Amino acid sequence: MRIESFAAFEGYVEDARARFAARQSEVLVCCGTGCLANGAAAVAEAFAAALEGAPAQVKTFTKRTGCHGFCERGPLVVLRPAGVLYTKVKPRDVAEIVDKTIQGGTVIPRLLYKEPVSGQRIQHYQEVPFYKHQTRVAMRRIGLIDPTDIDDAIAHGAYRGLVKALTMTPEAVLAEVAASGLRGRGGAGFPTARKWRSCRSAKGERKFILCNGDEGDPGAFKDRSIMEGDPHSVLEGMIIGGWAVGAHEGIIYVRDEYPLAVVNLTLAIAQARDRGLLGSNILGTGFDFDIRISRGGGAFVCGESSALMRSLEGKVGEPRAKYVHATDRGLYDLPTVLNNVETWADVGAILEHGGAWFAAMGTEKSKGTKAFSLVGKVKNTGLIELPMGTTLRQIIYDIGGGVIGDRPFKAVQTGGPSGGCVPEALLDLPVDYEKLTEAGSMMGSGGMIVMDDRTCMVDVARYFLKFLTEESCGKCVPCREGLHQMLVIFDDLVAGRGKGGDIERIERLSRGMQLGSLCELGKSAPNPVLSTLRYFREEYVAHVERRECPAGICRDLTTYEIMPQTCDGCHACFKACPVAAITGKVKELHVIHQDKCISCGACYDACPTQAIRFLPKHEMAARGVA
Amino acid sequence: MNGACGVDLAPAEEVLQRYPAEEASLIQVLQDVHRAYNYLPCDVLTRVAETLHVPLAKVFSVGTFYKAFSLSPQGRTIVKVCTGTACHIRGAVQLLDELCRQLNVEPGGTTADMGFTVKTVNCVGACAMAPVLIVGETYHGNATAAKVGKYLRASGGKADAN
Amino acid sequence: MNTEPVGVVTMTIDGKPVKARAGAFLLEAARAAGIHIPTLCHHEALEPYGGCRLCVVDVTEEGWDGWCKMVIACQFPVKDGLIVFTNSERVLETRRVVLDLLLARCPDTPLIQGLAARYGITETSYQRNPEPTDCILCALCTRVCDHIGVSAIATVNRGIGREVAPPFGEAPPDCIGCLACAEICPTHCIPYTTSDSSRTIWGKTFQMLRCPACGRAHITVEQARHFAGHGGVSESYFTLCDACKRTQMAATFQRLQALPTASAGGGR
Repeated sequence: MRIESFAAFEGYVEDARARFAARQSEVLVCCGTGCLANGAAAVAEAFAAALEGAPAQVKTFTKRTGCHGFCERGPLVVLRPAGVLYTKVKPRDVAEIVDKTIQGGTVIPRLLYKEPVSGQRIQHYQEVPFYKHQTRVAMRRIGLIDPTDIDDAIAHGAYRGLVKALTMTPEAVLAEVAASGLRGRGGAGFPTARKWRSCRSAKGERKFILCNGDEGDPGAFKDRSIMEGDPHSVLEGMIIGGWAVGAHEGIIYVRDEYPLAVVNLTLAIAQARDRGLLGSNILGTGFDFDIRISRGGGAFVCGESSALMRSLEGKVGEPRAKYVHATDRGLYDLPTVLNNVETWADVGAILEHGGAWFAAMGTEKSKGTKAFSLVGKVKNTGLIELPMGTTLRQIIYDIGGGVIGDRPFKAVQTGGPSGGCVPEALLDLPVDYEKLTEAGSMMGSGGMIVMDDRTCMVDVARYFLKFLTEESCGKCVPCREGLHQMLVIFDDLVAGRGKGGDIERIERLSRGMQLGSLCELGKSAPNPVLSTLRYFREEYVAHVERRECPAGICRDLTTYEIMPQTCDGCHACFKACPVAAITGKVKELHVIHQDKCISCGACYDACPTQAIRFLPKHEMAARGVA
Repeated sequence: MNGACGVDLAPAEEVLQRYPAEEASLIQVLQDVHRAYNYLPCDVLTRVAETLHVPLAKVFSVGTFYKAFSLSPQGRTIVKVCTGTACHIRGAVQLLDELCRQLNVEPGGTTADMGFTVKTVNCVGACAMAPVLIVGETYHGNATAAKVGKYLRASGGKADAN
Repeated sequence: MNTEPVGVVTMTIDGKPVKARAGAFLLEAARAAGIHIPTLCHHEALEPYGGCRLCVVDVTEEGWDGWCKMVIACQFPVKDGLIVFTNSERVLETRRVVLDLLLARCPDTPLIQGLAARYGITETSYQRNPEPTDCILCALCTRVCDHIGVSAIATVNRGIGREVAPPFGEAPPDCIGCLACAEICPTHCIPYTTSDSSRTIWGKTFQMLRCPACGRAHITVEQARHFAGHGGVSESYFTLCDACKRTQMAATFQRLQALPTASAGGGR
């Protein structure tokens, strides 16, 4: 049913709210891609089946929501109204939950989140440290609503910002966004209002609003969660953007690797059109704006705005010089605004609550909140949203729970392949655009990859170089040839073939790539290399001058041995070894056979008594051991 | 090849009817066609070029640029190993090694019986469940090398005897 | 303040005042003023590409406090008051890195060897290409082919695996055998054979048209057809070769000049 006016919209919101409020209770099952990978669909089905049949007034509704964020503990279930959070729920737990908690009103301790230091079980999801410290703006509705039901989104505030914006002039909307201090959440942090203003004043009748859903940074998945879990937040933001700059066409570019995001966005668009919130004569205002989806083809470089636009035009994703801005000549050489998913998701909230509200959070130059995906060797991996200015220490320890196995923290990598590694000494860095850049990294998409002492920083740099060599479009010499030659040097370093002058060659080539490359992929490709060189130079020196990998990771430089005095014959290493290089009977001393050992370190990770140590291969060879 | 791949063009025609006949439709068309044939056959590319009025050389250029496309037939079940950063540091290398060892292929290769193709993917966005393995449409989070055989058997796809 | 007539800007390049047409790119303005900036992927007849990066220059403006931005001259628009340095230390260093990389890729290519030597590089610092090529991926060949409206060849793959090739690596169905790609290639790395009867390039063989006047085989059948279609003339227009067309035209003019003029004296 079409909503024909603002008044009709208010009435619609009231109806939707009342309908959802009338529900006695709800079971919210996280069905983001992460929890789905851990069997959440079966859990949701089990709940739906178990709760069927009850009369509507007393029925408990099962709702499949988007990503709750606490992926480490999934499948996640939240029970409303009590707000109880159950973690690692299996289908076989469902009957007990229905019986004891939904009907009986008691909790099941083993399914509650256990705080690692105190051992205390926490009942309410808002008390769980992971959620307690969050301020969710872009992710405000994710985990609370069923993303495939527009009424649920509307009952929880969707499109309120749009209604407000449509009662304002485009200039007033621009002023509100400017007051918020919103900067692009895709990585570069360009002031959003300034971009919109340029497009508004560009010549031409036909303009475009684009959403960059190509989240290619490995380790980042906030955009996926927003597109899957609350697609309407993105649509709302884009319509507001269209109103502000004078555009009537929007396109969401979704990377090929996110099929569920495409499904949920497609459904959301159809439902929004149906309600008159998208398409012609939106809410009876006479403003036309429509959105379509375009899928990427599997190319990281298409996250770069000019390459993305070429891809939309059906061409190869080759970036072009930005001497003329996309806001003047972008898609089809027409004025275009391109913003990231999270940026669009913020826009609706900013119009609803006001720019000043958003600007009251964050730091002097980085206002508002930011979504981060905290992954790697951290206990509580998942998705979080925090005010800018929160420190790395707070993120990794207070929210993340610290390093897995309480191993020593080594570095946190931020900004993806364009970013860098931040060492322990800088853990009290408040996270914002400027501070991260000063430290030699960058904000990027918000991916934060925690690394422990079992990480070789030379290997990390090599990993990013390998990633980028496969993603370079190949148009310009510094990036295409430079990345290839950098990888050649790093392949030699990790294999013990490093030679004097390698570090200088790396530094020189890095400068050439930073200055000479056509686009940011090539220009920022040296960042992981330069930042690891800056903070972990001694590791590079060890690889070049001594053919050693201090972290014990580079297989060609490292080998393992079991220490006889400590080994208790528990057999764990034997089971872990993928190539049967270890011999030994239970309760007897085990031995690693060097001729079979591939130095993967699985035995080292598996040994519970630290009876295995790693050492440089040349040291082992010097002993004359076979 | 010489344009004589011998595939039935009907599925391609069906896809082409759904999109405007212009260059901007190219990537969407190739994706739908790729889904229909499980790769991009050469005479289908020729037909796409004709219908969308895009030079064949450019269609081929686009087909080889984007990693979503394969220009040679793929296995019935595609196995993707995520090699994103989080997966890398949580053991994606061992996972890929074991997968290739069991199926007796190189990364990117297809088993002789056309049962499986093994590919690496640059981050599927399930980083909290690293390392991730996708067999067909099924995501396996916190995958281990030890369970590779189990994942493959669960897919119902036929593996090379090993 | 720009006191020049509308459409003219004044800049400073290497300390020298240079005027340019508004809307022009820095490269052409510099060349017109006799200032040399090296290029590899540039050609006056085609849109600038921005692939080789050799034409990098440092630019700054009043009020930037000496802060410079490195841009490529072939695509950077001229601007009134722009201050340009074509040989700053970091510009030269960047060009050296580019040439060093190209020398690794194309170690046996005279053009690259010569350019690199001019910048002090006689041997590459990087790994020599195990399969040396003469192709510098300037894409002049594919760009001219697009420009002519044929688009028979294109770049294939991405990254270090990128190459110029016909579709499927086979004889390109759209090629007209005009040889523009081979002629524009700065390293002459596109092979072809041509004779009175036939021409072969990219694995495709063409039949030649012979000029009825001098007997020279000068154009392929497909090329004549393509140009006829684009020019709105009949194919027979292209049968006569250019040289003989000019000879015939000259003869016609001579005949016209020999005719008595209608108004030798006065009046109309």
